[in-house]
Amino acid sequence: MLLFQPKTEFQSSVSKFKFSPTHILLNTLLRVFAVNFNLRPGLNKYLKSDQGWINFTLGIQTESGSVQTAVIFNNGRVSISKTIPPHVDTMLTFYSDDAVIKLLSATPTEQIFMVLKGQLSPKGNQSYLNLFFFFLSILMHSKQKKQMEKERKTAKKELLKNSPTPNTRLSDEMTARHAYRMKAPTRDANVKYLKEPYLSEFGLEDFPRVKEFLDIHFEVKAEVCPELPKLVTDWHKQNGYEIDRSGKPWHPLLRKGHAYKHLMENRKPVIRKNDLIAGTTTTKDIGVVVYPEGHGTMLWAELLTVGNRTLNPYNVSEDTLKLLHHEIFPYWARRNFKEWVREKYDNPLCQQIDERFAIYFLWKSVTISHTIADFPKLFRLGTSGIIAEIKEQMKGFKDDPDKSAALEAMILCLEGLTAYSKNLARQAEAEAASEKNPARKKELETLARICAQVVERPARTLDEAVNAAWIGWVGLHMESTNAGLSLGRMDQWFQPYFEADMEKLKTDKERDEYIKHAVELIGCFYMRCTDHLPLTPDIANWVFGGSSSDQAITLGGVTPDGRDAVCDMTYIFLKVTEMLSIRDPNVNARFHPGVNSDTYLKRLCEVNLITTATPSMHNDITVMSSLDDLNYEIEDMRDWAATGCVEPTLSGKHIGHTNFQMMNMVAALEMALNNGRHPLLNWKFGPDTGIVERGDFKTFDDFFNAFTKQFAFIIDQSIDYNNKLAEAHQIFRPTPMLSSLIDGCIRSGRDVTIGGAKYNSSGAALIGLADVTDSMMAIKKLVFDEKKISFPDLKRAVDTNFENDPAIRALVTKKVPLFGSGSDEAVVMADRIAKFAHDHYWDTPHYRGGRYTVGFWSMSNHVAYGTLSGALPSGRLAGKAFTPGLTPEPNASKNLLDNIRDVARLNWKNINNNIAFNVKVVPHADDTREKIIDDIFSYVKTYFDLGGMQMQLNVVTSETLKDAMAHPENYRNLLVRISGYNAYFVTLNRDMQIELIERAEYGI
Amino acid sequence: MEKTQNSPLILDIKGNSLDDGPGIRSVIFFKGCPLSCVWCHNPESKKTGPEISYDATDCIACEACVNFCPRQAVSRENLFFIDRDRCDLCFLCVDNCPSGALTRVGNAMTVDEITGKVKNDIPFFTTSGGGVTFSGGEPTLFMDFLSQLAQSIKSEGIHLLIETCGLFKLDAFSEKILPHMDIIYYDIKLMDPQQHKNYCGVSNEIILNNFRELNRMSAQGGFQIIPRTPLIPGITATHENLTGIADYLQSQGVHKTQLMAYNPLWLEKNKKIGVPCPMGRGAEKKTWIPQEKMMEFKAIYEEYGIQA
Repeated sequence: MLLFQPKTEFQSSVSKFKFSPTHILLNTLLRVFAVNFNLRPGLNKYLKSDQGWINFTLGIQTESGSVQTAVIFNNGRVSISKTIPPHVDTMLTFYSDDAVIKLLSATPTEQIFMVLKGQLSPKGNQSYLNLFFFFLSILMHSKQKKQMEKERKTAKKELLKNSPTPNTRLSDEMTARHAYRMKAPTRDANVKYLKEPYLSEFGLEDFPRVKEFLDIHFEVKAEVCPELPKLVTDWHKQNGYEIDRSGKPWHPLLRKGHAYKHLMENRKPVIRKNDLIAGTTTTKDIGVVVYPEGHGTMLWAELLTVGNRTLNPYNVSEDTLKLLHHEIFPYWARRNFKEWVREKYDNPLCQQIDERFAIYFLWKSVTISHTIADFPKLFRLGTSGIIAEIKEQMKGFKDDPDKSAALEAMILCLEGLTAYSKNLARQAEAEAASEKNPARKKELETLARICAQVVERPARTLDEAVNAAWIGWVGLHMESTNAGLSLGRMDQWFQPYFEADMEKLKTDKERDEYIKHAVELIGCFYMRCTDHLPLTPDIANWVFGGSSSDQAITLGGVTPDGRDAVCDMTYIFLKVTEMLSIRDPNVNARFHPGVNSDTYLKRLCEVNLITTATPSMHNDITVMSSLDDLNYEIEDMRDWAATGCVEPTLSGKHIGHTNFQMMNMVAALEMALNNGRHPLLNWKFGPDTGIVERGDFKTFDDFFNAFTKQFAFIIDQSIDYNNKLAEAHQIFRPTPMLSSLIDGCIRSGRDVTIGGAKYNSSGAALIGLADVTDSMMAIKKLVFDEKKISFPDLKRAVDTNFENDPAIRALVTKKVPLFGSGSDEAVVMADRIAKFAHDHYWDTPHYRGGRYTVGFWSMSNHVAYGTLSGALPSGRLAGKAFTPGLTPEPNASKNLLDNIRDVARLNWKNINNNIAFNVKVVPHADDTREKIIDDIFSYVKTYFDLGGMQMQLNVVTSETLKDAMAHPENYRNLLVRISGYNAYFVTLNRDMQIELIERAEYGI
Repeated sequence: MEKTQNSPLILDIKGNSLDDGPGIRSVIFFKGCPLSCVWCHNPESKKTGPEISYDATDCIACEACVNFCPRQAVSRENLFFIDRDRCDLCFLCVDNCPSGALTRVGNAMTVDEITGKVKNDIPFFTTSGGGVTFSGGEPTLFMDFLSQLAQSIKSEGIHLLIETCGLFKLDAFSEKILPHMDIIYYDIKLMDPQQHKNYCGVSNEIILNNFRELNRMSAQGGFQIIPRTPLIPGITATHENLTGIADYLQSQGVHKTQLMAYNPLWLEKNKKIGVPCPMGRGAEKKTWIPQEKMMEFKAIYEEYGIQA
């Protein structure tokens, strides 16, 4: 009664072949591998899970067929076969014999790049592939670790050669920025209690508790936490996954509800030492949560080495390793989104494209969490109030089993969440009883009272609201992988509780103390948000380097009825953002021209200067006008907040999966230049659209049409995969906990995964707008308008990375007006590309109802996709990063104002999922803080006056970044904005560091 | 006086300047100057006529220029790449240079063209309290053109500032230029007339007279005048000279001045337009002025009650 269909059948490339020396070498090595696992009991035990032997078959071949081998795991024995059986679970195909040899001696990083660059392409079940790599690492991990160490040492040596001594003047300058603090020139109308809204009297040193948490954040190494997968797997083993104990098929929603409740009731209630907020997402100081039905099994390959890798290392304890390998991963090897799609749809083309990394990446292979829950509802009603509402609604659904199941599942989840908060209350009480320090004892007693009240009943104070937000946050984490699950308008939602508390206080002294407490409490809240890291397979460190969960908080803007929303809590959040300078929560600020004050915008600029990179700033009017065609109610639209990176979601009412995919538009351009073939992947999978060398393109429009055909093709493929993964989510991971906090679901009796929300949409992130625009401009101007070079000549130069054509490269880089240079024509070109994308996505039917939206921001994929792309007609060389988001190319203009003006005059009707426009500004050392802030303010304000949508700053010099690259120990918290999210510079991969260094830098 | 007086060449319109007056400014650089200061940071602005600039760092050695030149003036054998004695400024080399290493220095622009260009920046001027700065070269070399241009830009409501060496006919300036200006940045380089002649090619007599008059008129309101001194090591940046200037400024009732730090990067610019360094071989000043030195210089002024 499995859900799954029979294993996928693979055809070997050729039936008659000649063994190559590589084949013989590989076979010999695999036989050594087999003998080890068959004869050494210490190794043989790894072939077994708690539910029996792990059986699977892996095929290894070269494209030519010169190597053909199968590794068969069957009932505790490993055998090597010289012929590949017709059914294998996973097939590894190497580009050539050399690639096989290269893999055998490659470092783990090199292996990743072999996969990324298509020298090695896996097909079939990826869990088993990861398991096979885990088996290999059991034999090889000491060598792998040595290689990693060697790689690190070589890289470090290289860096130190160029920069032997740290430049402390630079690192000191970064620290010194925190020391000077401006005072607010005026007070905003809705700031009721803060006498000086910038809160310049406070520094981090005033909050030793928060400072201690900050040290933990930077110094404690994260550890993989098995709690969630263990509890969930155990429950399913007892109660079944596909069918329940009575043999009936499980309703996915009820199965999820029960499993979730079991998890929440049995999680360890942890109160971090000295914290003002109870509860944690894991049992570790900084934990990594494993979601087995998502991409959890991707960690399998790295269980022994993840602690030693260079980027983002986590510890895996021996017990955790055993649990994951023997009890957890085997259960989920085929029960996850990707494998379900693979088996049900026979590894469809849309999935194959995704798994080659160079064209698009679908976030649904991991999660759908990009949204914002209705926290005010949780504060206002508590779980008990929401359950009462659901029960009332259920009466109407008696005859509808699906709707009843949806609502019952929500109740189960809310009960689970309540149980968790009660457990926290008991834990706080127990800890209070044994606490010796009277001050802490009192705090624990307070926490016990708070958790007894929330989340079950309404919040009455700021402390209760903050704790309710955190418990709710933990609850949402426990249901679904957190990637861009966002907090929303926390300043707005906490303000009423802050005001209510303040009203009760009589003296100035009491009020001053309370304001300080509020700052500390929000500081604790930020630090709570850092208590986990996403599970990142090493390959993702190269694709999404340095990213945490991207939990966006949004400040300011207007209230649902259109009034100035900047309030006391806005400035308290900004103060905390300034003092902590941490990457996550990802702080976004709305600025509503004409409503929000200059004082507020100047403060945003100052916090950017001090933290070097946050908050990201949005023009409220432009963002909202871009949503016009979606027919949102105006009050709901005014309640928008950024999700993940920058994307607008209507708080508590909207499943906008605003990062359903990362799309490489440059791939479509490369395919149009190559008649449907992607050059780096050496794979023709797009339609025939014409051959440059044959002279098929008589006009520029001929070529532009070829581009749009290729683009439409990959968009359609990606949406096909999105739909298939969405189906998998409906079965594997419905989210009734989230559904209970999204408007519309209770009323409609539907889970968010099947369209229960009031508003539905999905948002794409399109990468490479500036690179495609500039390339199109080069083709249009030089080939068609001015006829300075022939298209085949340009194509030849591109194909050979301009190696023999410096004059052509000089022409395209120096004589073509680029996007961001002030050229009207280039802006028209960018609009034309954006409009095509917008219209094509818009017209594609959406599985939950609603629309597909498009945005132009890139997380870090402009670097990764750049690595996987050849040279471009714009003159960009092979492998170099694209520009981040839609930021103009650094050579477009020496004048920042040209950049600002060109971005600001894009047609926002085409851009309804926001943008990331990076600007790197560098203050002059001799200028005063006030002068620097005035200058930054002038840029941002004018950009907004001109209608620009979003701007994000990096206020740091390339010189400092170079120093940080070589001497990371002096820059542990140097924050940089990538494209939409923040990261610590020193934790980024080398390519990303170089991309940041090479960004255009404007002195101020 | 130059023939080209009525239609100057424009070197560049540099947007987004934060150092040439208040706020964000667009700076219009005129080509041509009546002075010939040996330290001139914009040597390409000395001559009024057009020139060709060659930037070796951008050159890809494709030799297109060598092949296109009808007078064989372009060769790698030449000290500054182009033999300016042979060159008749036909600009064929510039037109055919793919890399932008060869560029034309100085372009004729009409009042409307310039106004149209700077108008784009009005939103930035408005938020930042910025505007347009006339610089050079010496903008007053083209009094009539400048007057029309200033009037045209001013009619857009844009704040105007002029950077001048002070060598002009005062009546013409007062009549044609002054009514449009909000701020004058006025160079006072050297107090000693003989030194001024030695280093800048002319005596400073007219310059100081003009300053005295304008400073007096400024006191009546309508515009602001701020004297500035470039700090050239060993030439203007001497204790004697700065004390002299401070003393003079005090006598004129001035309370505020600007000191402009020496920037040795200009030395590279001479090579591009094919002229040897006017400071003489081996006498180039290649270092920046250290921070402590700057503080010392400022202290001189403070003694005279002048904020620098």
